[in-house]
Amino acid sequence: MTRRYVLRRVLQLLPTTAVILLVGFLLIHLAPGDPVLALAGENGDAEYYAFVREKFGLDESLPRQLAVYAGNVLSGDLGTSYVQGRPVAQIIAERLPATLLLTGTALLLSTVVGVAVGVFTATRRRRWPDVTVTLATLAMYAAPVFLVGQLAILLLALRAGWFPVQGMTDARSSATGVARALDVGHHLVLPALALASQEVAAVARLARVGLLDELARDHIRTARAKGVGERSVVLRHALRRAMLPVVTVLGGRVGHLVAGAVVVEVVFGWPGLGRLLVTAMQARDAPIVLGVFLLVAVTVVMANLLTDLVYAWLDPRVRYG
Amino acid sequence: MSGTAELAAVAPSATHRLRRPRLLVRAVRTPGGAAGAVLTLVLVVVGVLAPLLAPTDPFAVDGPPLQAPSAGYPLGTDALGRDLLSGVVYGARTSLLVAASVAVLVVVIGTAVGLLSGYLGGWVDDVLMRLTELFQVLPRFFLALVVIAFFGPGLDRLVLLLGLTSWPLLARVIRAEVFSLRHREFVEAARLQGASRTRILLREILPNALPPGIALLGLVVAQVILIEASLGFLGLGDPNVTSWGTLASEAQRFLRVAWWLSLFPGLAILLAVLGLNLLGDAVTDALSGRR
Amino acid sequence: MPARRLVVLVAAAVLLAGCASSDPEPRAGDDPTASSGPTRGGTLSVAIDSDPGQLNPAITTSGGTHTASELVYNGLVELTPDLEPVPELAESWEVLEDGALYRFDLRDGVTWHDGMPFTSADVKFTFEEMLLQLHSRTKASVGAALESITTPDADTVEFRFSRPYAPLLLQLDVTEAPILPKHLYEGTDVQKNPVNSKPIGTGPFTLESYTPDSELRFAANEDYFKPDLPYLDEVVMRIIPDKGNQVVALEAGEVDFLFGTPGPDLPRLKESGDVEFLTTQRNPGGSNCIMTVSFNLDKPIFQDVRVRRAVGSALDREQFVERVLFGQGKVAEAPISSGIGFAHVPGLAGLPTFDRAAAEMLLDEAGWQRDGDATRTALGVAGVPDGTPLAFGFTHFPTFAPYAQLLRAQLAEVGVDVTLTPLEPPVFADTVFTARDFDTNIISYCNGADPEIGVKRMYVTSNIGPVPFSNSSAYRNAEVDELFEQARTTVDEKARTATYRELQERLVEDLPYLWIVETEANRAFTTQCSGFSAAGHFAETASCSR
Repeated sequence: MTRRYVLRRVLQLLPTTAVILLVGFLLIHLAPGDPVLALAGENGDAEYYAFVREKFGLDESLPRQLAVYAGNVLSGDLGTSYVQGRPVAQIIAERLPATLLLTGTALLLSTVVGVAVGVFTATRRRRWPDVTVTLATLAMYAAPVFLVGQLAILLLALRAGWFPVQGMTDARSSATGVARALDVGHHLVLPALALASQEVAAVARLARVGLLDELARDHIRTARAKGVGERSVVLRHALRRAMLPVVTVLGGRVGHLVAGAVVVEVVFGWPGLGRLLVTAMQARDAPIVLGVFLLVAVTVVMANLLTDLVYAWLDPRVRYG
Repeated sequence: MSGTAELAAVAPSATHRLRRPRLLVRAVRTPGGAAGAVLTLVLVVVGVLAPLLAPTDPFAVDGPPLQAPSAGYPLGTDALGRDLLSGVVYGARTSLLVAASVAVLVVVIGTAVGLLSGYLGGWVDDVLMRLTELFQVLPRFFLALVVIAFFGPGLDRLVLLLGLTSWPLLARVIRAEVFSLRHREFVEAARLQGASRTRILLREILPNALPPGIALLGLVVAQVILIEASLGFLGLGDPNVTSWGTLASEAQRFLRVAWWLSLFPGLAILLAVLGLNLLGDAVTDALSGRR
Repeated sequence: MPARRLVVLVAAAVLLAGCASSDPEPRAGDDPTASSGPTRGGTLSVAIDSDPGQLNPAITTSGGTHTASELVYNGLVELTPDLEPVPELAESWEVLEDGALYRFDLRDGVTWHDGMPFTSADVKFTFEEMLLQLHSRTKASVGAALESITTPDADTVEFRFSRPYAPLLLQLDVTEAPILPKHLYEGTDVQKNPVNSKPIGTGPFTLESYTPDSELRFAANEDYFKPDLPYLDEVVMRIIPDKGNQVVALEAGEVDFLFGTPGPDLPRLKESGDVEFLTTQRNPGGSNCIMTVSFNLDKPIFQDVRVRRAVGSALDREQFVERVLFGQGKVAEAPISSGIGFAHVPGLAGLPTFDRAAAEMLLDEAGWQRDGDATRTALGVAGVPDGTPLAFGFTHFPTFAPYAQLLRAQLAEVGVDVTLTPLEPPVFADTVFTARDFDTNIISYCNGADPEIGVKRMYVTSNIGPVPFSNSSAYRNAEVDELFEQARTTVDEKARTATYRELQERLVEDLPYLWIVETEANRAFTTQCSGFSAAGHFAETASCSR
């Protein structure tokens, strides 16, 4: 992978980010109603609106406004939430860890379980375990994530009582340190499982295909001929190269997971960015909505970029048109 | 001269076209494909015949509130006393409508981009590929969230939004197909016989590039149904039609006392999406078997 | 390696068990079984619906903000369950000049949570800079009538009105007129002042911490001016948006108190024996609320009173009580809520009752023809082209969707086609009141403790305009305006009752609105705790014996 390739890919980030900014900006100004109301809320008086108009340059020409907006965003100023009266960047920073925890755990979980399932079904091709497990993962893939969440709550939280129904921490406890970490962990299980369930099938299938391809190769045949045990063949020799397809879709999966996180956070009352987005939409708190949108869009773009680079590094024959 | 040109142009492609019906049959022969075809067929039939199949108007308040599934109300009733079976049936109609409309948009845009990009190459390809990458990377779900939050819910804008953002994958596949078809003998033959570029594109390349794209359509449409359901679940669905997602969102409040309100709409979504996925997979497999 | 893992697991299990058990031991010296008064100490855990956003209740009537912040503040008076004013920040008061001048003698020795003394300047500042500008109910009622507020000395406040103003004493509690500290807000933008997230008040509790979208923690105010209060050490408000989950939390012992009980869970909770209820029509967002359907009277379709009456007759309001409220409420029997005893007039002759046949007849008479089961079309209706279908839009908050859906279903039976438009509150306010872009809508109009507070604003001609939750129908009747003016400036209750009776008879004749149901809430709490009140200071006299 050449330096030029890396540079080219990174530079592609710029127009993409620019378009995302443009989309966000247009949404404020094309939405029905006075954009001032969208930015400043319903309760202001004439003086306050005039102030907001000036600050955001709403009386100026559209391109100029775009420039001001872009400049603000690039310098980290995502505006101020008029419902909370605080900078949007601060509010987002507060909620980010919860979503990162949820999404990160789901990513890890789905990858590990997915690979395990992929290996399992690849080594038992076309026999009953393969068919049933594949069917189960396909069903989980097809099930909307809110159904999985609701069923999990019904069966594992309400009926069995093994897990809490909602939230990130126990309502009554003011524990800190390890106790709090365990409390959060306990609350994390169901949401993370629900979110991960969507992805397991996709990962499993990729892992299975990758493994089967790899197992058909010469060096594997050689290893087998040399008398290396089947288990070692699969796990030691084949697995690493076989994981390539799993890695390549990481970028797309991040996008998928983040979208699912919004729904999971609503189902489980998990206080992250997804919940923030939904409440902000209900309150018409435009600066927060746009801030979260920008953050998510940029994250997905970067995730895609990173996986492209990693893939190119792993397999130098790849070139994209 | 034109007569023989016609003949020469038709003859080789005719052999290509004949393979397609066999393709579908081959796909349906596998257990996955058969199941997928059945489920998809059920979805289409229920959606089209909804007014005939549903016992009542899904919005009519006829029955007792929060009634568990019973003889009179096979899937139960909701808090207002509306029949859930009718709701699920009409929900199929909405999903079908959205799926079909988005599919049309996706095929039209994706095919156009793929054809032009693959056949013309050069700077056209570069530009169109940049565009495709851009649309591929835009987070569809969040875009839909934001647009609906600002412009209000409605099936029309949902279809437009999803249609305008779901075509990149199809375009890529079509483009790849066009690349490989560009230099095939029958295309060369047509060109030598003086057929115009447009003619070649439309009569030779398009019919053969389309099948892999159509195979992908099942998977694309399945994703669209899931997105529409999630948006409905978040309360952003069109309130003037019944949709599975909206039913699930109303069910959230009653999870404890009326499990059927969550289960059946969710199950319907699961079966529809599963069916489309299985069918799409089977067709794609059958296609790659050909290669 | 395995041994260490085992130790960690055991430790984890122990810690988890510890977390699951209930709260800290009672304070030393407590004897829960002693009959010498309520148990002191302990933490009360409360579930609330939404993140308040900010904690200044003087600049908004939002229920979320008020629920979370009223524990921190006080009003000049407090209202008993019978709506009698009793002293709070004001020790005593005089009503002079037949109600044109109110003089309040403020309590001595009251301090803000930061130690600064409370004075009359705080009252004047709060009214002038916050309440009269941004609190919609106080602004519309007091603001319209007030001439000036003067502070002759640090302990005295005078409200002077241009004409006698009867209801003032009912509008000075912590919900309608909370008092905020001048020394922290003077010279700042009251809407963006960071104190809005770290409130300083005079109330029974102080804010200890606020974790957005998660919880708020309040600690008892040691220096509270009411002796011995509060009994609790701490109040924790957990944000649990889903009402079903709130019930689960209550049943699991994670929370002790809910502000409202969802209908489907009510019977089960009642049977369990572990839960007690407090039924009330008072809420932090407003009290004595009636779900009201408005007709946009600027539209030709609604200008015939027969059409309005027909729509009213087509509605089975008992069904709303049964299926939307699950029994928590009742059919509205008059334009003014039954919670305002002296003004409520049941049994008004002109109020539409559920009668589908009558509705169909009225619509036929008014020129709306029906062909079998189809939607009606116009034939000879003034201002409407022949053949126009009887179809209109219905705008509503998303949370009121069940009302909208039931209305749609009931009106479909008589050939009326309703299209729903859910709009979030900020957009609703803009669309309905500023742009007046709607056909019909439903609003929870909270009457308040006196008709002057929340009723008048719905009917007077001067209140048609951009202020949210004003005269939505754009009803214009000079006689009604005059009657309201009369009721406002009369202090004698009997005379006011007669005026309000006449008013309601007019309103029911003209039918600018349809009054559907009166809503009530059932506060639910564990039997281990008691002493709750329905209003803002719900936990001021509460205690828990565990």
